Amino acid sequence: MSIARNIAGIAKGMSITFREMLEPTQVENYPDGPGPLRGAKFEQRFRGKHELQRDENGLEKCVACFLCAAACPSNCIFIEAADNTEEKRISSSERYAKTYNIDYNRCIFCGYCVEACPTDAITHGHGFELASLNATNLVMRKEDMLVPVASLTAR
Amino acid sequence: MPDVTFTVDGKKLTAPAGTLLIEACRKAGIEIPAFCYYPGLSLQAACRMCVVRQEKVPKLQTACTTTVAEGQVFTTESPEITQARKATIELLLGNHPLDCPVCDAGGECELQDMTFRYGAGESLYTEAKNHREEQKWSPAVYFDRPRCILCYRCVRMCGEGMDVWALGIANRGSSAIIAPNGGDHLDCEQCGMCIDACPVGALTSDTYRYKTRPWEMNHVSTVCTHCGDGCKVTLGVRQVDDGAEIVRGDNRDKSGINGDFLCAKGRFGFDFVDSKDRLTKPLVRNAAGTLEPVTWEHAIRVVSNKLKEIRDSKTENGGGSSIGVIGSNTGTNEENYLLQKFARTVLGTNNIDHIRTTDYAAFVRAMAGHEHRAASLRDTETAKAILLIGGNPTEEHPLLAWNIRTNFRHNTARLYIATDSPIKLERQARQTLSLPVEGYESLTAFLSGDDSALGEIENAKTFREAVNAEESLLVIFGQEFRGAAIESLVKWGLAKENVKFAYLGDYANSRGAADMGLSPDLLPGYIPVTTPGAFAEEYPNLSTQPGMTAPEMLDAGCRGELAALYIVGSDPVTAYGTDPAALKRAFVVVQDIFLTGTAALADVVLPAASLYEKAGTVTNTFGDIQLVKKAADKAGVKPDFEILVRIAGGMGADVKKLVPFGRGSITVPAVTAPALSVDFVPTPRPIPSLRGIHGDLGQSRGAHSGEADRHAVWLAARGLELRLSPFDPLAALDEIERLVPSYKLDRLNLFAGNDVHSEPGFVPVASLTAPTAAELILPAHDGLFTSGVLGDHTKALVELNSYQESISQPVAEAAAD
Repeated sequence: MSIARNIAGIAKGMSITFREMLEPTQVENYPDGPGPLRGAKFEQRFRGKHELQRDENGLEKCVACFLCAAACPSNCIFIEAADNTEEKRISSSERYAKTYNIDYNRCIFCGYCVEACPTDAITHGHGFELASLNATNLVMRKEDMLVPVASLTAR
Repeated sequence: MPDVTFTVDGKKLTAPAGTLLIEACRKAGIEIPAFCYYPGLSLQAACRMCVVRQEKVPKLQTACTTTVAEGQVFTTESPEITQARKATIELLLGNHPLDCPVCDAGGECELQDMTFRYGAGESLYTEAKNHREEQKWSPAVYFDRPRCILCYRCVRMCGEGMDVWALGIANRGSSAIIAPNGGDHLDCEQCGMCIDACPVGALTSDTYRYKTRPWEMNHVSTVCTHCGDGCKVTLGVRQVDDGAEIVRGDNRDKSGINGDFLCAKGRFGFDFVDSKDRLTKPLVRNAAGTLEPVTWEHAIRVVSNKLKEIRDSKTENGGGSSIGVIGSNTGTNEENYLLQKFARTVLGTNNIDHIRTTDYAAFVRAMAGHEHRAASLRDTETAKAILLIGGNPTEEHPLLAWNIRTNFRHNTARLYIATDSPIKLERQARQTLSLPVEGYESLTAFLSGDDSALGEIENAKTFREAVNAEESLLVIFGQEFRGAAIESLVKWGLAKENVKFAYLGDYANSRGAADMGLSPDLLPGYIPVTTPGAFAEEYPNLSTQPGMTAPEMLDAGCRGELAALYIVGSDPVTAYGTDPAALKRAFVVVQDIFLTGTAALADVVLPAASLYEKAGTVTNTFGDIQLVKKAADKAGVKPDFEILVRIAGGMGADVKKLVPFGRGSITVPAVTAPALSVDFVPTPRPIPSLRGIHGDLGQSRGAHSGEADRHAVWLAARGLELRLSPFDPLAALDEIERLVPSYKLDRLNLFAGNDVHSEPGFVPVASLTAPTAAELILPAHDGLFTSGVLGDHTKALVELNSYQESISQPVAEAAAD
């Protein structure tokens, strides 16, 4: 009697397992999924690694106003500003960011920098694979975050 | 004026009748916003921001032009007034570009603050803004026309404040613009006061242009390293790879001895700190005869071993007296004090001197025993009558000139000038006297009543009558006076009541160098080495034989009679025109920030920190002592103080005897129970001279020690001991206070960042010695854009100098029109 009850119990349990096995996958298939994101999916508003944007002429949008650094609660943004000159124009305004570092050891992805930015120069991208065995690699430079000019023409 | 009582926002206020309402309110803590009003300048009433409601007056009144009278009733904040101010801002923003993110004034902009407070961020205008390109008016000044709100502060600052009148208003009404005197450029003193006064970002400076933002910097108030006036300058500092970099010099809180003022050198002249020519590694001459970079340990070892060997050598050309030491005009008091103590106790020689630019020894000798006769720089702003003999304050002492002009404008001070050539301040003078170049000494005789002393000079007698008729007088004299001439002039003045004196000299701490005993015959405080008094107990084996002066040392070095020369922050080889080849036989050690003519021939060169990179105190030419705080930081260099302590340590000297640090014979004042409660505010009191207590009050740790500072000040105020180090210059300040008669300092004031006046009257009369030979005095006569070796390495000043030379007309011509 008890054997029959046990088998029935197992069968009942396994029936859920087998039924779910045949259902479509609900979770993300990261990292074994297809595409460059390897199956990771994002909501639009996901706050990942920052991107520094360019305007329609390919110039950097950042004018080095330091408001992101001021807004940053973990003090992880370091900027050095410099003048644009006629010969060397980096941003559309008088000033550009010569250095723009974000220390991802400290960044808490709160998004205040994005909110503070008056020129929409800094946005959160969807990059999230930031883990590193060396903490110094987590200090990203401007070149690491700036969107490539190629991505503008591709659009 | 009698006091009157009036009501502001329901509060009863009292102020002298005729006070401007805006000032009376500010004193009472009621803030009235204003763009065009600037304390001390003429009234403009252009911006309409300060409007207030006065009872029984139909329209809103401007608080900056309303004078208070008995029984008036004002309202400074009401919906009506807020609406009026908002409307004003809306009009100002009509053509103001919204480029706050890139504007250098962003974060320090009065228009930004007011818009934040009153609104009007949304404009009702639909018209496009009228854009104009930014203009470069000079290597120092940029003008962004659309940002200008036409408050005319710059125009008044330049005209009234600086007496330069380089800025004006072109066109009328809505077309009015600020215009420079050169059409498209500025021909002026390049002081940058217009930039300082500008409430918005219309006038910006070249040095700070687009570098950073105000909240990104640490602001360190220290003392300017250039001329002898000792203005407080606030340096904006940012961290960089090799230390901390100065990005801006300005007069941020206006709390210093200089009030509103700062000249081109203080404001723009700091880039020598990051000059490519800076020495950053110790250099030792190798066997091949070239200077080779070495480690600090090695360099210190070389110097201390060699100096010890020379000192202990019993040969003819050995012993302490064969070592010469030359000190600096720009180091701190503590360093100068330590240097002479090092020379006299560790090296055992009185061969110590500095390049004397001014005969302070003679001045103090003349003043000895007469208290309250030496003028502070602050007195020049309030004195009723000033007699200026020699010197050219506008060029060499810009702050003094500013103070005299301000005094003339506010108090109609009577200025009497006697010089051999016309100077710009004559525009403010009541009477002037044109002296022959050699006539300065005879002027004293003439003032004392000897009619024949001066010969025939126009107006001489009326000049004398007017000067002698003054009830109180501030006598300011230049470097034309030396030795006996000072003595007779001071004697003439001391015979009268209410006469104070000031002696104009060069460099940030020339006065301190003299005060701290950098002379072969005088100990700190002008105590003669022949009768050392208290120093005999303090300094073991102090020689009472006066040593050699700086030129004598160099001559002896050239003759091979001096085995070693130790030179700190000065360039005597260039100054005295010594043949570099002749000094080959002496062991020459130079501590400096640049490879000067002397450093180039040295055997060991030690890279020193500049005045902006260390802590301590300096004394200006008026004898006002101020605190120097560490602002910048440069990898590789060390303050002179630390270098000296390390070398003394390397020579086997007892460092604790040299610098009274740490526990030792300390007497801690009794701390009473209430003193330990957190809220207790200690009353300012002179701190008793205690051996070895006071320590690092945080200043030597630089810009990042806010919390530690407060903690340390709290401890110090209660007489509790701090952690100390032998490299802490403030440990030496204690000994200076104890031993130097004229340095009885109010420490609370000093550490709070105020100036404290020294009193040469405390110098004992017994210290009279023979006057210094006049030929030893080498005045530098640095102008508005030069500052000795520092000036040569300051790009901003070199640029301004060549710019002004390329466009300027002689001052005399400009003054004539």
